[in-house]
Amino acid sequence: MTYRSSRSALRRLGLAAALLALSMSAAGEDAREFTAAELGRIAAHGPWPLPWTPDPGNRVSGNAAAIWLGHQLFFDRRLSANGRVACATCHDPDLGFQDGRATGRGLATGVRNTPGLLNVRHQRWFGWDGGHDNLWSASLRPILDPSEMGGSAQRTASVLRNDKALACHYGQAFGKRPHASDPELLVNVAKAIAAWQETLVSPASPFDRFRDALARQDARATVAYPVAAQRGLRLFLGRGQCATCHAGPMFTNGEFGDTGMPFFVKPNGVDPGRQGGIKRLLANPHNLLGPYNDDVTRNNATGTKFLRPEHRNFGEFKVPTLRNLPVTAPYMHNGSLATLRDVVRHYSELDEDRLHADGERILKPLKLSEEEIDDLVAFLKSLSPTIQMPVLAKPATLSACIADEPNARKPNDRQSR
Amino acid sequence: MTGRFCWQGVPIAVAMSIAAATAHAACPPATVDGAVVSKGELVLAYRPVANADKGAKPDRIPMAQHFALEVQLCEKGAASTARLHKADASMPEHKHGMNYRPVITSLGAGHFRVEGMMFHMAGRWELTFEVHAGKETVRLTHDVQVE
Ligand code: HEC
Ligand code: HEC
Repeated sequence: MTYRSSRSALRRLGLAAALLALSMSAAGEDAREFTAAELGRIAAHGPWPLPWTPDPGNRVSGNAAAIWLGHQLFFDRRLSANGRVACATCHDPDLGFQDGRATGRGLATGVRNTPGLLNVRHQRWFGWDGGHDNLWSASLRPILDPSEMGGSAQRTASVLRNDKALACHYGQAFGKRPHASDPELLVNVAKAIAAWQETLVSPASPFDRFRDALARQDARATVAYPVAAQRGLRLFLGRGQCATCHAGPMFTNGEFGDTGMPFFVKPNGVDPGRQGGIKRLLANPHNLLGPYNDDVTRNNATGTKFLRPEHRNFGEFKVPTLRNLPVTAPYMHNGSLATLRDVVRHYSELDEDRLHADGERILKPLKLSEEEIDDLVAFLKSLSPTIQMPVLAKPATLSACIADEPNARKPNDRQSR
Repeated sequence: MTGRFCWQGVPIAVAMSIAAATAHAACPPATVDGAVVSKGELVLAYRPVANADKGAKPDRIPMAQHFALEVQLCEKGAASTARLHKADASMPEHKHGMNYRPVITSLGAGHFRVEGMMFHMAGRWELTFEVHAGKETVRLTHDVQVE
């Protein structure tokens, strides 16, 4: 949890790179021929990175002072009831902002797997059940959640007031000092933390370079992409039908699905998934239909406004992004699958009785051979960067705050350093 | 009419002024940059526009993104008095519909705007329009291949 620590994530990714390079040199000459239809589908998974635009619902999105503040608070354990849990406790930068556990553990152990936060700006729904329609309300929830941080507006305001650098950045971002009596305080803090998380973008992966090389018909450059990954890609787009849900540059359509994962939780409860998420969302005063949405046009609230609850939502979970998977194990909403091989095996041996009778009929047990499983895993791994992850900027200091004009730096400045 | 959409890249302002200028002429306008479906006398022309926050540029139907539809109802070459009552879509092969419930606004003179649409998966979608013409309900469908 230090600012230099993204190095070891790097080492991990570096290892993946070395392995890819190995398999590449063995079979480099055997480049696949993709059909025109396949080429179109491959192109649809890029380009990467996506253009960054400020979040219209968050007035400090892209604001330098807010980004400083949010960065500091993300690592600040003082926001929690016992002074020991920070966002970074579960969202560890070394692990793509995940924690390596099956389910998150703060003040208590939860029932869901901690999602990684790289590229989180591009999500439509937040949480495995999509219980939030914006990044700042998903960032406010854990501060108050008694099993995660168990904090309060009172506690947050006192942390801000008693830390000159934080108070200064808060003042610069919001034009006022932090006050516990301010009903907006927690929302503002969450908006600052969101502004920082929006800057977390993963660099281009071997897949992205392959995709770009195909797009510009640079046959030489395509050879660098391992043949196993190419075979995996073909499976992913074709027989596997994976891209039906894991679509676009983020490898998710941003919606929800049922993949036959069990939804029972110990001791004898169930996780209703999307069905509960829609209820939670509509009851939340911090949703985009509510007064804290900074977009006066409410154009950013389309998803929430037109939601249509369906019977099949029970047991549906968000289709996760497939970028950066090697560092974010274990997998699925309950963290029950330890490795990517386990996930691919799950799709290979799918228990059809577990799938909704009235729902999606595109998932079938794929009955993959061991080689095909290897190929799909090689492809999934190729969606992670092999170069250095962006180094996190330095934490906020008082002198930085005094020296810095608000908005003087754009978030991109930070990533390229 | 089954098959892929191909939208001419007419900027919306231009397209709108064409629609306005031809309100008394042909209905739908000859240069309609969308799709036309008909049943009996009733002609329905529609085209997708990106969601308001994405900059309203006429486009093919985007995958897994919200979009709106501009719909025009015509009869015998003139604006129809029929009312667009319902617009919806489903994926017959997948046996599911959209995750969103669209809402229709009447813009007058046979023009309607349908908001809140999203095709969240690639594949064949069947668009369904329900039009109330007097006491009659007319259903029109149109296939869209989304990629
Ligand atoms: C105890 C571990 C824990 C702590 C502490 C924690 N989180 Fe999380 N976080 C989770 C889990 C588990 C989920 C998934 C929740 C769900 O699906 O309902 C999650 C989900 C999220 C999401 C949604 C991501 C997505 O892609 O859907 C965001 C954003 C997030 N957390 C940010 C934060 C921030 C900011 C903090 C600190 C204020 C924080 N988290 C503290 C465990 C934690
Ligand atoms: C019907 C939509 C759908 C299809 C098709 C689909 N997935 Fe998924 N995928 C999901 C959903 C939903 C989840 C999360 C399920 C859960 O947690 O209960 C998921 C989870 C995953 C994960 C775990 C990611 C993480 O961070 O936990 C991987 C890896 C994955 N899918 C790969 C694939 C591959 C490979 C294929 C093709 C063989 C595929 N998916 C096909 C919807 C789909």
